[in-house]
Amino acid sequence: MANPFKFRKAAVIDKVGEAPGVYTYTIKYDEVLEASPGQFNMLYVYGLGEVPISLSNIPTIKNGQTIIQHTVRVVGAVTRAIVSRLEIGSFVGVRGPYGNGWPLRDVEGRDIVIIGGGIGMAPLRPVIKYIERYRGKFGRVNILLGARTPRDLLYKYELDSYSTIPNTKLVLSSDTPAEGWEHHVGFVTDLIDGVDVDVRNAVAFVCGPEVMMRVSTRKLLGRGFRKDDLYLSLERRMRCGVGVCGTCQFGHYFVCKDGPVFRYSDIEEYLLVEEI
Amino acid sequence: MSVAPPMKVDGVLSANNLNLLVGDFGDLEVVARLLQRVLGNVKLLGYKLHNGEVRFGEVDDVSEVPTNVADVQRPGHYRLTPGYRFRHSFSSPKAFLLPPEHTILTTSPNYGVVEYDSSPECGVVFFGVKPCDRKAVEILDRVIYGKNPVYTKRRDAVRAIVIEECLEPGETCFCSAVNAGPTVSTGFDLAYARLHKDLYIFKYGSPLGERVLSRARLRRAEESHVKEYAEMVGKAVSTMNARVPNIMDVQKALNEEINDRRFWEEVTSKCVGCGNCNYVCPTCFCIEVEDVVEGDRSRRVGIWAGCRTYTYGLVAGGHFRRELYTRYRHFVLHKFLFYPKQVGDVGCVGCGRCSTWCPLGLDLKDVLKHLTEVKTR
Repeated sequence: MANPFKFRKAAVIDKVGEAPGVYTYTIKYDEVLEASPGQFNMLYVYGLGEVPISLSNIPTIKNGQTIIQHTVRVVGAVTRAIVSRLEIGSFVGVRGPYGNGWPLRDVEGRDIVIIGGGIGMAPLRPVIKYIERYRGKFGRVNILLGARTPRDLLYKYELDSYSTIPNTKLVLSSDTPAEGWEHHVGFVTDLIDGVDVDVRNAVAFVCGPEVMMRVSTRKLLGRGFRKDDLYLSLERRMRCGVGVCGTCQFGHYFVCKDGPVFRYSDIEEYLLVEEI
Repeated sequence: MSVAPPMKVDGVLSANNLNLLVGDFGDLEVVARLLQRVLGNVKLLGYKLHNGEVRFGEVDDVSEVPTNVADVQRPGHYRLTPGYRFRHSFSSPKAFLLPPEHTILTTSPNYGVVEYDSSPECGVVFFGVKPCDRKAVEILDRVIYGKNPVYTKRRDAVRAIVIEECLEPGETCFCSAVNAGPTVSTGFDLAYARLHKDLYIFKYGSPLGERVLSRARLRRAEESHVKEYAEMVGKAVSTMNARVPNIMDVQKALNEEINDRRFWEEVTSKCVGCGNCNYVCPTCFCIEVEDVVEGDRSRRVGIWAGCRTYTYGLVAGGHFRRELYTRYRHFVLHKFLFYPKQVGDVGCVGCGRCSTWCPLGLDLKDVLKHLTEVKTR
């Protein structure tokens, strides 16, 4: 069998600072590889190890090459190494894409609520790009984004463009007040009260800290959303991406191959169990 | 990959009982030699007595198989003593199929991949492994065969499986309760059981096994042998079945007790989170992957990771299983609730290693009993 741990060599072609300790890398490799919004790659730093990072844009494929984006926040050894070592022209190992993404093909014709908190905005960005590209295929869209402070919001340079997508509402929040902040102060989940889609014909895509996703689902259900119309992207300790290392188990699921995007109704029982 | 054709099972005895043969230790040696001759260049891997210790490894000569020792196993206790009823040691075929540390691939600083060829240099025969071991390999196959490159190559090197059935269970054994033993009916080539010290019952489970046994010129078992064999198997089964609750009841109780923190903290109050149970478990497959830099190369090494240990669930940004009870609970839930959903069968083979090799003697059988008692309270 082919060794699934084998990675591709990829070159960094751009690096953009998003927020304190957060950078978006644009990387390129000489192979054609499609990926859907919500999927992730394992990024490898020589001598240190790998981290699972979701794709933060739809891949661009041109002349046999694929250009992808990953937004990386410094938390541990590998992410610190990525951010401090990788500059334009550097190389990185990439394998993937892995996992199940957001079910965009299945929800055509429906209204969509997108809720992202902090670094959780990253796997939702390709959803927004996808909707923008195929705008006619979806109904009304609400985008709710929040972070601890306004500075921690990602993609600030393009957020305005989201509100110019036809029939789309963008609402922002910051957990803490800040000079010049004219949007909501509080949790991103507060914004669910103002969601103006047809809940009977809408789906919600949620990604953020687990507590934020729990509150989101509770509030969305309170607004009349059905359990099987809510989708969450989970994260766990992950070493392989292909269901063999076992460390990402969440109940009987392997988050890497059965997720990371799950339908709420499929994981509801486990979300109620402490540290399952 | 050695796969025996499925056979119908009838009660405790398999359908090929009519073909039971008898012999002695000398015949076992003959069988091993014939097997090696038929298969060509193969190594025997099995339990091996060396310097007063038994471990799973390469058997150079059948005389190294632990035929003159018995193991005494109790929770937190393992001793060898003169005798002939040997069950198993802390290591199992997992030690070969998924070694504690195994190189997955080797990389270079400029992000090249130097493919690592993890194929063993020749084929192997699992010789004298136990029914619980065979079942464990079947479970591992379903989880990681064709997915984990190291396991897959090593599994493909297994040319034949020779089982030693257990006619008297060890004290921590409960294989029959999870349909893993004490006899085998599928997934093996040859099996033998020791009716007495030097009276072996042989049977085959594949065309290869049949071929070897027919050449070994063994005697056909007499009716009295078959009767005694069946009685011993029956007794072993009823002894072991009485040790743990019915597994369906365990599963029902687990579903109900999944969120009962008090229960789990109580039953795991002795656990110190060392992970021994994980490492000796023949079906635990979780690994950590680490880089080991040597000169201008980095080896990506798979290392056994135990769900009972603190680092299981630990990530740079937090911890998904900070509380010890949640990690112990994962072990039990995984074996009895999650494996059935993942691969269609319970992931515990009832070998009892996790109890025997627990330094605090925490007994899985007790936990299963408490579970069903809480449920009926």
